[in-house]
Amino acid sequence: MLQTLAYGVLNGSLYGIIALGISLVFGVMRYLNIAHGSLIILGSYGALYLFYLGLDPFLSIPIVMISLFIAGIILFRLLYSNFVSLAEGSRIQKSLLVSFGLMLVIEHGATLIWTSDEKSINPSYSGMSFEVFKDFHVPLIGLTGGILAIIVILALHLFFSRTYFGKSVIAVSQDPEAASLMGVNVKRAFLISFGLSVCLGAVPSILVGLQAFSPSAGIAWFNKGIIVVMLGGLGNIYGVFPAGLFLGVVEAISVFFFGAPYREITGLVIFVLVLILFPRGLFGRIPE
Amino acid sequence: MKGHMKKILLPLLIVLLISLPFVVKSQYFLSLMITLFIYVILAESWNLLGGYTGQVSLGHGAFFGVGALVTRLLWINKVPILLSLPLGGFAATLLAAIVGIPCFRMRLAYFPIGTLALSMIALLTVSNLFIAAGALSPELLRSYEIFSRYYIALFIVLLTIIVIYYLVRSRPGLAIVAIRDNEKAAAAIGIKTLKYKTLALLISTFLAGLAGGVYAYQHVSYYYDAPFDLAWSFTPPMTTFIGGISTMAGPIVGSICFLALSEIFAVTLGEVHVLIFGFCFILIVLFLPGGLLSIKAGSHSNKSKMRKVKTWFL
Repeated sequence: MLQTLAYGVLNGSLYGIIALGISLVFGVMRYLNIAHGSLIILGSYGALYLFYLGLDPFLSIPIVMISLFIAGIILFRLLYSNFVSLAEGSRIQKSLLVSFGLMLVIEHGATLIWTSDEKSINPSYSGMSFEVFKDFHVPLIGLTGGILAIIVILALHLFFSRTYFGKSVIAVSQDPEAASLMGVNVKRAFLISFGLSVCLGAVPSILVGLQAFSPSAGIAWFNKGIIVVMLGGLGNIYGVFPAGLFLGVVEAISVFFFGAPYREITGLVIFVLVLILFPRGLFGRIPE
Repeated sequence: MKGHMKKILLPLLIVLLISLPFVVKSQYFLSLMITLFIYVILAESWNLLGGYTGQVSLGHGAFFGVGALVTRLLWINKVPILLSLPLGGFAATLLAAIVGIPCFRMRLAYFPIGTLALSMIALLTVSNLFIAAGALSPELLRSYEIFSRYYIALFIVLLTIIVIYYLVRSRPGLAIVAIRDNEKAAAAIGIKTLKYKTLALLISTFLAGLAGGVYAYQHVSYYYDAPFDLAWSFTPPMTTFIGGISTMAGPIVGSICFLALSEIFAVTLGEVHVLIFGFCFILIVLFLPGGLLSIKAGSHSNKSKMRKVKTWFL
């Protein structure tokens, strides 16, 4: 049982960091990026190529991060920058539709290039685990992933609370008009937060890459992420990580009782129940 | 003049479609037509919800799949098909009532995401519960012929188009469009927004369930989770947007283009037609919100659209 919980927590930190990227664009600019999962999968393919070149997956994180950031900036310039001035409701609608198209393009483009076979990155240490005490193992990769997730979240928190630019992004998320009157460049704040959000996909890219991935997995990971975002409360960046851990643990418990095939279903059922019972999320309030 | 053309052309088209099986004997072509009809029913029903009501659903495949599942199970267990089809539709409506209505109570993006999650739950549940392929029993297989399938599909397409055509021109239909355009203003003049949105949802999912029923009746053997595939959720919004959202002809035009492309690329690896449609979908959402049908509308608006494309990169 303790073992199950440990796996749940480690899985949950992966969910949490995927959801953080989705929550960041939603919280700051009211964009819903359905293609987030697909971009993570693209990152995984990048990491796979770097691994073939002889680079360790964990060392390739900075490279994947920078390339995803650049990809995010380009995508924002090409696809999303037109909606900045729209009202909140139609901004959600338009970004949802465009990213839906992008998701399909990435998925089917990737199928053409890499076929729909499942791939994974297999370094020499992929199956290793520590034995903490008797019958209680902690997998090496999962543990490293969890630590990385915490580092990234702390870095993001410091960025938003300590730097001038981070504070201006928070200001934009609270009231874009007032922020622009105070001299904040709203469009640039949007651009950088979108880039950051895609760049947050780098750590999940590696972790997903170390498990298994295929072109069509993008939408499933997005779905995991958005469930966590809604559990944490839409637009509430700080509720996301606890919600991710919660989902991970609940899934692990459900595997313990009902068996592996129903793992995904439990998560989704919880999502629908929370949607009906606590429309504002488990930890949240929607900043209006 | 345009109205006159329509009055002559429409009955001509319907007569042509009715007489088609007597002219073309190819089984392959007829079954392609049935597939087209399924796409059209699904896209039109999606359009009622996504276009006229303004509630984008990313999980229409769940309702389609439930319709297919219920119709198939009833039909295989010797319930006449003319009864199983509407029962399949009602099953889809029931699912929508249980899950869709709570999603409507909330603002923001809950409806698209809720329906997407619903379609994933349905896919995973069904693929876990029904592992074997659903083949027909020998006596059903012996009596299989394509004509009855063709006519049932044709009947449901016409029914769908007539229902939606008259619905959006009726009083509830006008209320639905008013809610899409401005929900607060609509509520302020006394329209019960939740009631009319629910009405659109229930009718739309019933039609999607019927489309699923046609699929179940058409195919000799398929895995039970095939109609729950996410492609059934993603195709209707694509075809509707590309043809022209909130129009009657848009989903039909889009579906014909989609099916034609998928036939052209049928032998290639992967789904090139979805890739092309995905690209077109993005371009249309960005530059041509009216879809292909709005291209002819006027040269002035086309010029302003060209300007929009030019300023895209700046």
